[in-house]
Amino acid sequence: MARIRFNNVEKKYANGFHAVQNLTLDIQDKEFLVLLGPSGCGKSTTLNMIAGLEDVSGGALLFDDELVNYTPPHKRDVAMVFQSYALYPHKSVFDNIAFGLQMRKVDRAEIDKRVREAAEKLEITHLLDRRPSQLSGGQRQRVALGRAMVREPSVFLMDEPLSNLDAALRISMRAEIKELHQSMQTTFVYVTHDQAEALTLADRIVVMKDGVVKQVGTPDDIYERPENTFVASFLGSPPINYIDGTLKFAGGGAQFLHEALALDLPEAITAKLSGQDGRKVRLGIRAEDVDEAAAGGPGATIHGKVNSVLPVGSDQFLGFDFYGNELFFRVGKDLAHKVGDDVSLSVDLNRLHLFDKDSGASLLW
Amino acid sequence: MTDTIHKPAVDYRRRQKLARISRNLAILIGALVVAIYVLAPVAWLVSSSFQTEAEIVSVPPHWIPEDPTLRNFEAIFTAGNEEEITYENRSGQDPASGGYIPSTAKNLLPAMWNSTVVATLVVILNLLVGVPAAYALAKIRFMGRDASIYFILMTRVIPDIALVVPFFLVIKNLGMLDSIWSLVLTYLAVTVPFTVFILVQYFEGLPDELDKAARVDGCSRIQALVRVFLPLSLPSLVAVVLFAFLTSWNEFLLALMFTQTSASQTLPIVLAAFTSDFTISFSFINAAGVLAIVPPIIVAVIFERYIVSGLTAGAVKG
Amino acid sequence: MTDTVNIQPGRSRLRAAFGYEERSAMIFLAPVMLVLMLVAVFPILYSLYLSFFRIKLTRPNRTPFVWLDNYTDLFGNELFWTSVARTVVFSVVSVSAIAVIALLVSLLLNQDFRFRRVLSTIILVPWAIPYVANALMWKWIYDSGYGALNGLLFQLDFISRYMVFLGDQNKTIYLIANAFVWKEVPLATILLLVSLKAIPSDLYAAARVDGATVWSRFVHVTLPAMKPGFLLVMIYETMMAIRHFDLFFILTEGGPGDASHVLSWHIYVETFRNLSFGSGAAMSYVLALVTFALSYIFIRTLGRRV
Repeated sequence: MARIRFNNVEKKYANGFHAVQNLTLDIQDKEFLVLLGPSGCGKSTTLNMIAGLEDVSGGALLFDDELVNYTPPHKRDVAMVFQSYALYPHKSVFDNIAFGLQMRKVDRAEIDKRVREAAEKLEITHLLDRRPSQLSGGQRQRVALGRAMVREPSVFLMDEPLSNLDAALRISMRAEIKELHQSMQTTFVYVTHDQAEALTLADRIVVMKDGVVKQVGTPDDIYERPENTFVASFLGSPPINYIDGTLKFAGGGAQFLHEALALDLPEAITAKLSGQDGRKVRLGIRAEDVDEAAAGGPGATIHGKVNSVLPVGSDQFLGFDFYGNELFFRVGKDLAHKVGDDVSLSVDLNRLHLFDKDSGASLLW
Repeated sequence: MTDTIHKPAVDYRRRQKLARISRNLAILIGALVVAIYVLAPVAWLVSSSFQTEAEIVSVPPHWIPEDPTLRNFEAIFTAGNEEEITYENRSGQDPASGGYIPSTAKNLLPAMWNSTVVATLVVILNLLVGVPAAYALAKIRFMGRDASIYFILMTRVIPDIALVVPFFLVIKNLGMLDSIWSLVLTYLAVTVPFTVFILVQYFEGLPDELDKAARVDGCSRIQALVRVFLPLSLPSLVAVVLFAFLTSWNEFLLALMFTQTSASQTLPIVLAAFTSDFTISFSFINAAGVLAIVPPIIVAVIFERYIVSGLTAGAVKG
Repeated sequence: MTDTVNIQPGRSRLRAAFGYEERSAMIFLAPVMLVLMLVAVFPILYSLYLSFFRIKLTRPNRTPFVWLDNYTDLFGNELFWTSVARTVVFSVVSVSAIAVIALLVSLLLNQDFRFRRVLSTIILVPWAIPYVANALMWKWIYDSGYGALNGLLFQLDFISRYMVFLGDQNKTIYLIANAFVWKEVPLATILLLVSLKAIPSDLYAAARVDGATVWSRFVHVTLPAMKPGFLLVMIYETMMAIRHFDLFFILTEGGPGDASHVLSWHIYVETFRNLSFGSGAAMSYVLALVTFALSYIFIRTLGRRV
């Protein structure tokens, strides 16, 4: 069981690439932490530093209160599941799972017991004598999980463990991993670029970009209260829509002004905007935060021309031309629009996001 | 309603058939030409090794021995037991029956033995030195990795003849002339860089994540190499063993410099000595030549797959 | 709970530079580095040192330091330039022949046909056998009294009586080149085959859909893709050709006259027949530098990422 702390950690490669910059992060014991970001954002490097597979160029990395910057991986009590599973091709499934215990000189009876327990839990008992090459992707994934489980490590690391699975399997494995975390009572650090995985699994999510942490928070924080446009854009499907405009205070309330749009901001938002009169802002509307406007409805309506209609089964995406901005909304199936139609959509004002136009930082959170 | 099928104006089916036939014919002829080009000289060598001295001097030559004999080979394998044949007593034999056996014939089997010992030692040392180095270069990120690779790359292009003079003086001063150890040592210069490159190439082909998994599972670097990478690298190890062995078995220049007697002379040296002795029957020389090419050819045929992959790996990188 | 972590900066920098990875890498590389220092770097440096002395083994007690005299003498030596010329002829002839033959054979082996495996095994034979055996085989084939070449030409009525081959100074270097080519073609073929196999079949399919004929597919898809392979073959085989020794030793000993007196033979004669080690070292140093220059191109063009 371990708490992991990064104190101003840096990772620079010999070629000058700055993979992780000034990372300070406190991972709680037994927490399920997800590192989320696009490829090349430094999330895997961060994970590898925890494992000891990459050394730390600067700052301090601590397990509980022990400095582990220079501890090689085999001296750290971590287990890891890899994207490609990385099963040993020359060993049977049993030996693959047992290997970590053998290396740590656990006695044979105990190894046998733990491997069989894990195999049972993962329902791969019948595969124990096979070679990895004889297994399907999903089975390999389970073996990889088993190999990490039996170790009963104090830190459980996962590097995009589900990316090589097909979509249906991925969903069911998510549930199993969540269950695993509950039963193992240990710290999980999980790397993914898949927002849905992050949102379902995490206690807390760390969103990274170009080696810098953009936001740390619960899935709810991250989705509902993004601190900057990067986080706001990275989560949500289709991604959040932006309209640039100006803030205007008039009478008691604040208004968002665009050449073709004036939105009266609700009180909850206005309260956070004092002294921002005249500021250039970027308005964010999540794709799902609109509805068909009732005829002659209030001011919170945007008008535009339908560019494209993309049915996605349960509902549909509406491509929407709004004064040169291409917006995408997720609307119900019953909304029957054709390309070229003029439509009006009402915006849920309470769920608007406002960012500084230049810095991208949220004005609300 | 009936569908009418229009035939295309050109009979593509016929064209395809013609193209296929001419392609097959071209391949057949090409394959035959290549096979003859490669095999004919060797076949001639083998054929004449079974001919008697009388037959071998016929004009035009007999392509296939009319009266095949094993005498040439017998002479090699029994040369040590017989009374030494010298220029003087050689003339007592009937020249037409082919009795021109050189006094050095008895060196042939010891030379084969020397070649085997040298090659085996070179192979073992190559593995001991090359495997850990290749693993480090392929899987460990450390400062100076690129420099090390370039260094090894550079040593690979040093021409062997440039090593001869310094080697000779050092070995002479150490009193190691005419010892197989001088050969073993110097052959490392020509084999080790190649060994390292074959193995680096192979290890790089094995996924990094396998190495990481081993490390996280509790392996030190050495354990990861021994318990995970070695069992997986058998094909490249076979290639390394073959190359180191064949290179040592076939090497001539350095052996020519450092060996003097049958204590250390390798097969190529004894063979070369035959060719410069005009009194020796060609049929005997050819038999000796056949003995020298049989082991490498057997090895090449059996391990064809490994050789090809090894050659490409080592050459592309080196 | 405290957040203060004490790391001594000096020590940590040292540990970062010689961390576990660096230490294990050093241990793993130590044997190879030791061996290569001993059998490659040291001899090459020692050779440079030797080349500044006039060392005659016939006169072991007088070895004056002569600076660059060995090199300047060399460039004034007519036989040296003859040997350079012979080496160039030998290399150019052999390497071009190797490239052409290997191209044809690799194109053949890239096809799918029933005996492809057999043929690709057969082709390894010349590569596998020792150069000395190769040399005695060709010596016997070229033999002026009873050789197969004479026999064949005679039976085919190309010649009316047996002729001299290796002893003919107009032919000898080409005949040696032929023996060299025969032995080197397999390796070159395999190297070319790699670049052929690396061409994605999509590329051919795309070219076919675009209406390319067999010939234009060869010119526009195959040949460009083989460029790196060709470069590799040319450079590698050039390196092998300019340093080649075995065939010259056994087939002709540099003769007749100086018809096959190539550089490596020249070095051998100078060193081991004239026992002049200083100038021998100087010459082999020149050869090594030429090879290094070639390998520089080699590394620059192909070894960029190892």
